[in-house]
Amino acid sequence: MFLQQFVTGISVGGIYALLATGYSLIYSLLDFSNWAHGEFAMVGAYVAIVFSTMLNVPFVPAALAGIIGGAAISFLCERFAYRRIRKNGSPNMFLMIAAMGLSTVFQQAANLIFSGQYRSYPFKLPISTVHVANAYIGVLDLLSLVITAVILIGLVYMINKTQFGLNVRAIACNAPAAKVLGVKVDKSIASVFLLAGGLAGVAGILYGMKYNVFPTMGNVGLKAFISSVIGGLGSVPGAIVGALLLGVLETLVSGYISSSLRDFFSFALLIVLLLVKPSGLFGVEVQDKA
Amino acid sequence: MSEEKNLVLEMINVEKHFGGVHAIDDFSVKIEKGQIHGLIGPNGAGKTTIFNNITGIYKPDAGKILFDGKDITGTPPHKVAQLGIGRTFQNIRLFSNLSVLDNVIIASNLDATYNMPQAIFHSKKYKDREKFVQEKAMELIRIVGLQDRVAERANSLPYGHQRKLEIARALALDPKLLLLDEPAAGMNAEESMELVEFVKEIRDQFHITILMIEHHMDVVTNLCDYCTVLNFGKTIAVGTPAEVKSNPDVITAYLGGAD
Amino acid sequence: MIELFNSANDAVCGFLGINSYLQGVIVMVCINVIAVLGMSVLTGFTRLFSFGNAGFMSIGAYTTAILAVQFKVNFLLAIIIGALFAGLVAYLLGSITLRLNGDYFLITCLGFGECVRVLFNYTKNLTGGSAGYPGIPPYSSMLFSVICAVIAFFVAWRFIHSKYGRNLTSIRENAMAAEAVGVNAYRTKRMSFTFSAIYAGWAGALYGGYLMYIVPSSFNLAKSCELITTTVIGGLGSLTGSVLGAIIVTVLPEVFRALANYRMLLYGIAVVMIIMFKPSGLYGYKEFSIKRIIAFFRNLGKKKAPQPVAASEQGEEAEKK
Repeated sequence: MFLQQFVTGISVGGIYALLATGYSLIYSLLDFSNWAHGEFAMVGAYVAIVFSTMLNVPFVPAALAGIIGGAAISFLCERFAYRRIRKNGSPNMFLMIAAMGLSTVFQQAANLIFSGQYRSYPFKLPISTVHVANAYIGVLDLLSLVITAVILIGLVYMINKTQFGLNVRAIACNAPAAKVLGVKVDKSIASVFLLAGGLAGVAGILYGMKYNVFPTMGNVGLKAFISSVIGGLGSVPGAIVGALLLGVLETLVSGYISSSLRDFFSFALLIVLLLVKPSGLFGVEVQDKA
Repeated sequence: MSEEKNLVLEMINVEKHFGGVHAIDDFSVKIEKGQIHGLIGPNGAGKTTIFNNITGIYKPDAGKILFDGKDITGTPPHKVAQLGIGRTFQNIRLFSNLSVLDNVIIASNLDATYNMPQAIFHSKKYKDREKFVQEKAMELIRIVGLQDRVAERANSLPYGHQRKLEIARALALDPKLLLLDEPAAGMNAEESMELVEFVKEIRDQFHITILMIEHHMDVVTNLCDYCTVLNFGKTIAVGTPAEVKSNPDVITAYLGGAD
Repeated sequence: MIELFNSANDAVCGFLGINSYLQGVIVMVCINVIAVLGMSVLTGFTRLFSFGNAGFMSIGAYTTAILAVQFKVNFLLAIIIGALFAGLVAYLLGSITLRLNGDYFLITCLGFGECVRVLFNYTKNLTGGSAGYPGIPPYSSMLFSVICAVIAFFVAWRFIHSKYGRNLTSIRENAMAAEAVGVNAYRTKRMSFTFSAIYAGWAGALYGGYLMYIVPSSFNLAKSCELITTTVIGGLGSLTGSVLGAIIVTVLPEVFRALANYRMLLYGIAVVMIIMFKPSGLYGYKEFSIKRIIAFFRNLGKKKAPQPVAASEQGEEAEKK
């Protein structure tokens, strides 16, 4: 029983992690919480719905289209909204307000276009389970787990070992200095939004496979926000650890205490953690220089 | 030791590290009432870190800071300000979207000793204190020569005026000690000399003590009674500007060369 | 006491010819004005963000309702206690969370709001849980709500235009400089947070008295977002702007019934557009005043505007939009 819960938790946590890493990457570059990040996942999920159920495209290409959709919407938001606000020299809070506005816009638009109903992918994965050591583990959970693991390992490799990753870390450290040293700041930021949007697209489709697709599913972005706060805002490994922790905690609370108190526990954990460690598990204490 | 009473600021063996870097190392200084003391040294020598330790933005890792004979080591910034240490910032920090007048009034809020109900019902005390605060701010603005621009937004002022506004704002605290972080930065020779006269004037008018960070040697020579030279967090020379200028270590530090 | 207010209300409405539909709209405007004024002080003047204000609204609403229904407390007293209790909770919450940096504070507020909602759902014996809390006396008549909104505006205005308000704006403009001139940033932020929660609680209490029935789900995250949205549409850093924003956001969907479904979509677009294209409007930080309008027209006549007035004209235009 416990093992079963645990694997489900890890697999849910994996979906959170896909969102949380994108969240963290954007935060590390621009110092703002991209409130619309969950909606990128929602858009990705709906694009896949349109392709698979309305245009009758096979599921795998439809899912790819969904991922591209997530990446595209993320890119467009940065290109046409966030970039302009950054160039205005507005305080970071304004970026967040804009993100909140965009999140409302996407959610409402989805509601108007697709109505509030739950939709599912015409996707016949065996709903069977695998029997491992007294536990029945869903194939879907396992599949989602494998996909997430592969993507996250690739992401961490990319951040730490490639030129692109180095550029991103340089901008996160000190954007003006990176610019002077020849890093194309705007281009790198745009790439990060593309990447983060693509990850969100994957998360959206996996989430949709598990819980169906609906206009307010973007609220899962909140879980990503919590995960990256637990891990320490702006830290990619932190976001992954935070997401897995949150996923496991949620499933265990639902399983053993009460599913209606699930969110209560996650938030309580969060507040207590922040009181003990004000910058999350992997966060760095920043001191403002006078 | 009889002049100990006159010490406004005393720092004893203050240290501050960031990670493994010793931003300031075993720093001591004594500043007497009415003196103008200069802190000089190349970039990254730890001058602003010293200011930040005095004003409580950083807590020193070791050592003691005495202000007016009272231990203020690790006191939070707003308390340090309330005790009577005013400061300016290297990269100007004004309340950019507020008017010149409001910038100075905020710093005189400590003189606005009314409470919440008095503020909401506009009691006589509220009116009196607000009038006092307004007049005080106007007077300070006049002293720094910005009286024609009181209603303008702080960030619309030219650079030099912004520096003066920062000084006016610091003076509104009725400070005993004023910390100036590179007041002559970005000024030409003529403006620098004007600044020298201006700082002397405010010292005499307000009977304050001044500790300043400055790069322009001509400003230091004309203004400071004493100065301390820092390099890589270490004190390499102390004395009058003339003494310091002829010190071989100082020359090496400034002109580069072997350490 | 309620009867007294309500019959006075009937007399006034009868005299002015205001029908019950219009009364309802005006009550909702007043409730939103109060909640948005609280948000305005926090976000527009202190640049702190709270996704928890709907939570404070629910605390005010439930406290007042329970006092008035279960303990038969006079409704005026119940409202005051409800609002102050919301403030007290904010004070305590702020005491522990306001030391956190920007976004960390934000998430604790959000978490708090959600926790409150879950708790009200869970404590069925006291609050009726998700089925709601019925039987609240109808104290939120139009007359009473208007009186509340006027008092709320008056107090907020005097608060902002005193040293307290100046301290808040100094934090908004530059926290480090504010501390360097003796402003205790932590306590100032906490004051702003408490003030905003008292207003939210007050608005929540009136909301309960208007609907005579409350459910936890009315005070969700979307409600908090709506409060922020309204504040931004009205203009950050302007109390009169916030009042205007609350009126627009409440009345517009009533006027354009066909647009009701598109309401939140349009507000979302408006927020993004304002932040993108009208930051000067947001930076205007100007209050609406008759004096300035007169000056504006006089200068138009003279065709020659002295500099400081020219600056305020810009703010004026932003204000009108």
